[in-house]
Amino acid sequence: MKIMHFKLLGSFMLPLCSLVTMGHVMAQAPSVAATSVTAESKSINDWMMHMQESSKNRAYIGTYVVSSGGAMSSAKIWHVCEDNQQVERVETLTGAPRSIFRHNDRVVTFMPDKKLVRHEKRESLGVFPELLQSVDGQIADFYKLRPEGVDRVAGMDTDVVVLAPKDTMRFGYRVWTEQKKGLVVKLQTLNTDGKILEQAAFSELQLDAPIKMDKLLHMMGKVDGYRIEQPALVKTTPGAEGWLLKVPVAGFRPVSCYRRPAAAIIQANSESPFQWIFSDGLASVSLFIEPFDRQRHGKESSMSMGATQTMTRQLGFHWVTAMGEVPMTTLKLFVHGLGQKK
Amino acid sequence: MNTHKLSPQNCENLSALADGELAQGEFQLLLQICEQDPRAYDCWDTYHALGELLRSPSSKVQLSDPVFLARLNQQLAKEPSFETRSLIPASDGGVGDTDLPRKVVGEHRESASNDAYFGWKAVAGFACIAVTSAIAWNINGLTLPAFRSLSVRPDTVAEAAAPQQVVVASPQGFMVRDTRLEELLAAHKQLGVTSALPVPSGFLRNATFETQQQFGH
Repeated sequence: MKIMHFKLLGSFMLPLCSLVTMGHVMAQAPSVAATSVTAESKSINDWMMHMQESSKNRAYIGTYVVSSGGAMSSAKIWHVCEDNQQVERVETLTGAPRSIFRHNDRVVTFMPDKKLVRHEKRESLGVFPELLQSVDGQIADFYKLRPEGVDRVAGMDTDVVVLAPKDTMRFGYRVWTEQKKGLVVKLQTLNTDGKILEQAAFSELQLDAPIKMDKLLHMMGKVDGYRIEQPALVKTTPGAEGWLLKVPVAGFRPVSCYRRPAAAIIQANSESPFQWIFSDGLASVSLFIEPFDRQRHGKESSMSMGATQTMTRQLGFHWVTAMGEVPMTTLKLFVHGLGQKK
Repeated sequence: MNTHKLSPQNCENLSALADGELAQGEFQLLLQICEQDPRAYDCWDTYHALGELLRSPSSKVQLSDPVFLARLNQQLAKEPSFETRSLIPASDGGVGDTDLPRKVVGEHRESASNDAYFGWKAVAGFACIAVTSAIAWNINGLTLPAFRSLSVRPDTVAEAAAPQQVVVASPQGFMVRDTRLEELLAAHKQLGVTSALPVPSGFLRNATFETQQQFGH
């Protein structure tokens, strides 16, 4: 599933650049295992913070390959980070041609075959400190950091760590970071048995590449001859929508809630589902809730696509679609815990 | 005569009509609305475009050309009205001078058996618009959407309601999914990703949504 590939592919972006001083963290790792929970928590948080710190003033060009759900795809990426400004350009090398530009939280997607360009704003692309503040020590409560030695990826020496879940309600991650700069060069999502569900890796990588941010921004703004599409999102709350999670799912906190206004015509035909998003700091779950429609909603199902699991269930007069990079049992807990406000 | 305006409910009924599943009782009212509110045609047009998009997500879908429609309607208005002529000569004692054929012809000349049913005329008008839209689509070099019966056919409901399904590869082999689920998956990839890990910026997922669909086919 290529869409999934790009989830992983994105993994290389957000870290935004690099996990500096990975070696330093690795050196600390053995002692972490023997020390208190507080120390362990500090270790993971430090590790995360290093990603943020190392993301500054970093530039690279690379080709990465993503494998998920039995399919492979690849793309070329240009990334430049100066002060607090991040700009990226991604050209897909497989499937439909797409050029994606990101300037901080602004994303512009060019679809040359459709002569269409899509402008979007992604709040979840917020800068790391904000993300980390929102999850504080939460990650350390549910994952542990385990060093797994060294490896060579894309011609670079790397350190390998595993972020292993402490329970069976989430997946684990194996992360390869380049030793000098700390850039994440390979990432695997592992199921509860440690089996690889998805993986992505740079096949070639040029660090400190001479990329001009201005040039990328100029390309990003060149939309002549393209039709511009700007999907609007409306923030809402579960309360306003009349829903609550009667039984919270361990480690997962509500992050945000949106309704995506479809074209008026679609709204008249079918109410757009509202999307309630949860995260445990590393994994995410989306719950889509909409009125049940006998004609549109088939039978209940559960599906597995790479790391992304999907479950659909009828809940009274509503239809719930739960999906996330978590085990199916976790999705079940979400769906079963969901209830309407009285 | 009451004037009817297009309401969200009417739009829903138009969708049902497009899918051949509108209840008989609502049919007549809907046709009146279509006559009185020009937005109904846009709505009808859009449903077909959406239908086409859902049926073949990778194809280019374009609404019918309103200018073309207007011109066609003008031309149609200029056309001389059809005169009903007797296929059988008036009774002159010749061949075919029987009561039965004369009766049939006579009735036809006076009024159609369904003339009293106002909705029938509207159906004809509506069908004309539908055909016009189809022509417009063709002109644009697009795949002609499969027009569903305009008549109310409950037996077609199941077929009409079947969601567009897509076959995708997975570790478990090929699986079938529907386009609705694809949309939600894209939404999850876009927004539902909040991670402090080197996980998902997610911003790429949206862009590759179409790629995935193509892949699925």
